[in-house]
Amino acid sequence: MKLEVRDIYKSFSGREVLHGISFSVESGKALGLLGRNGAGKTTTIRIIMNFFEANKGDIYLDGKKFVPRNHRIGYLPEERGLYPKKKVMEQLIYLGRLRGLSSKESRENALYWLKRLDIEEYKDKKLETLSKGNQQKVQLAQTFLTNPDIIILDEPFSGLDPVNAQILKDIINEFINKDRLLIFSSHQMNYVEEFCEDIALIDKGTIVLTGNLNKIKREYGKNRLTVSSLSLSLEQLKRLIEDEMNNIVKEVEMKKEYLIIELQEDYTKNDFLRAAVDKNIDIKKFSIYEPGLEDIFVKKVGEK
Amino acid sequence: MRDFFIVFKFELLNYLKKKAYFIPMIIICAMIIVILFIPTIMNFVSGFGKEGETGEKEEDVRLYAYIDVNNEIVNIDELKENFSRGELEELSSIEILKEKVNSEEYEAGFVIKSYTEYDYVVKNNKLYENDNSSFEYALKKAFRIHKFEEMGMNYEDVEGLINPEIKSETIILGKDSASNYLYTYLLTFGLYFLIILYGQFTATAVATEKGNRTMEILITSTKSRNLIFGKVLGSAAAGVLQFAVILLTAKVFYEINAEAWDYKLDFLFNVPSEVLLNFSIFGILGYLFYSFIFGALGALVSRSEDINSSSTPVTLLFIVVFFVTAMGMQNTEWIILKIFSYLPFSSSMAMFVRISMGTVSNLEIIISLLILIVSTVLVGFFGAMIYRLGSLMYGNPVKLREAIKMLRDQ
Repeated sequence: MKLEVRDIYKSFSGREVLHGISFSVESGKALGLLGRNGAGKTTTIRIIMNFFEANKGDIYLDGKKFVPRNHRIGYLPEERGLYPKKKVMEQLIYLGRLRGLSSKESRENALYWLKRLDIEEYKDKKLETLSKGNQQKVQLAQTFLTNPDIIILDEPFSGLDPVNAQILKDIINEFINKDRLLIFSSHQMNYVEEFCEDIALIDKGTIVLTGNLNKIKREYGKNRLTVSSLSLSLEQLKRLIEDEMNNIVKEVEMKKEYLIIELQEDYTKNDFLRAAVDKNIDIKKFSIYEPGLEDIFVKKVGEK
Repeated sequence: MRDFFIVFKFELLNYLKKKAYFIPMIIICAMIIVILFIPTIMNFVSGFGKEGETGEKEEDVRLYAYIDVNNEIVNIDELKENFSRGELEELSSIEILKEKVNSEEYEAGFVIKSYTEYDYVVKNNKLYENDNSSFEYALKKAFRIHKFEEMGMNYEDVEGLINPEIKSETIILGKDSASNYLYTYLLTFGLYFLIILYGQFTATAVATEKGNRTMEILITSTKSRNLIFGKVLGSAAAGVLQFAVILLTAKVFYEINAEAWDYKLDFLFNVPSEVLLNFSIFGILGYLFYSFIFGALGALVSRSEDINSSSTPVTLLFIVVFFVTAMGMQNTEWIILKIFSYLPFSSSMAMFVRISMGTVSNLEIIISLLILIVSTVLVGFFGAMIYRLGSLMYGNPVKLREAIKMLRDQ
């Protein structure tokens, strides 16, 4: 399965909030939908879920127009909400039935997921009597209730302690291994790096970066090196490189423990090494720069 | 359809499982049962009393004193006979009379000076006491009998001439508004109550779902149409069920006790089935019409606390409809009632009143019914759209006008 979001525009009360969003996701590969608060992630997800319609643009599944109701979708909205005064099991069965399961399937699946999420003991309790973390787990149970083919999770890890986060990680990995299609929106970059093969980064309603995460990382690391010296402080080293090696080095950025340098086009790391030896720099650390998603994120959406 | 029934069942069971649904219903039914059993119980108790002790039923007789100061009244027995308030007893002096009235031995006293003049002696003059008018009537009658006899005429004959007994019977070709008034009023009031109460319930249920953010999960699980129709019809069914149980209880327990009531409440309980049928059809449709509006209103606010302010215009409109209909019961040919009997927001009450108490042609009923059905369906779909739209908006309550504008923009 391949889900494609093609050129989505959306306005609210005359103000355009999405200006042509496009990306695609394939089964077995999770997509991380990233962006700062208010960038348009949730709006995009809600359009995919047909919660509201786009002003322009369409969603396709395997080339055909995507109708969410015709598929088993597990959707965890950003705004978590269930009936606080209803018993856990009762509302799960209701939701299961609304999504096309029989009463029996609903009950069985609900029990399975409550067990799996380790909250079976609360099945006959009213939701409002559960702790916040456990309520969050009931939300997850409702998401996975139909054993969905398409899973859309909006900030799934918020409110979970490390143990529960691990349970959820296992479940997500299982779905990925079962070749399910997964969209995952989050601010927590470590989770995205852990699961997602692809990312789409939204900033102010526009996709600023999309594609394979490793490729993006390589792209970002390309021509970039990290370097530090035993004899010089980072500041001294930075000044030296900027003043005397600017024919080889385009840009220098200071981190806590090292400098990140970007080489001029047509120069290689060997050229830099040779120049460093010439300048008699006592090298402590020298490596290819491998950016974290967080660095890419901050660089891409933080610099404007 | 499947999803609609799932929502419907869920919402209906929501009501049926609540104590707040059953307890008031049980209390109302219990009150009706107790009231209807009162005459039966009283008959039983008094029948029991009669067997035990007989004869001493004189306690109730009220005593009145009089003095005929000038010995003018010839036929004192006729005066006594025609005084219906109690027993007249003669005393010897005005002083004794005043004393005994003051000590409350007598209810009041009459100092008769002639057939046309007397003094009324009473301890405290009460607003509603009509002892003296009753005495005056008796005195006048005694006077007439006496005077006619003096003229050699029989009073009975004269009375027969002046007040001949006239027999009459009313043949009603249309409806007997007078006898239909009470049950029509009660049914209309019941409907009024049902719409206001369950309308608020529906609005609250929708707003609560929005408040606790269940809506997003629901709307992505099934069509909003299924949700709003299931929800509204679910509450409607709960309301109708409650109303029907109360009516049925009243009917059954009246039948049981009808004899003890001496069939005096037949006019209230023997509602013609045709009227009941019309009430059910118009009532249920009107009820649904308003429920959809209330459901949509619930979707336009973010918290259940805001419902009151947002539903006030609709509630006011409905109160106006109720008052106009109630006024129309005085005259079913009133033009405003006729107009109201076609408008969808008022026909459920106005047309019912016209059917129950006036004369309406079948064609008129069918036209009004069609308008109501079409409007209810339209309001239902419109409600579904508002529900979907409203579900996305949080924050300040949205006015209905703004919502319609937003729907157009979409």
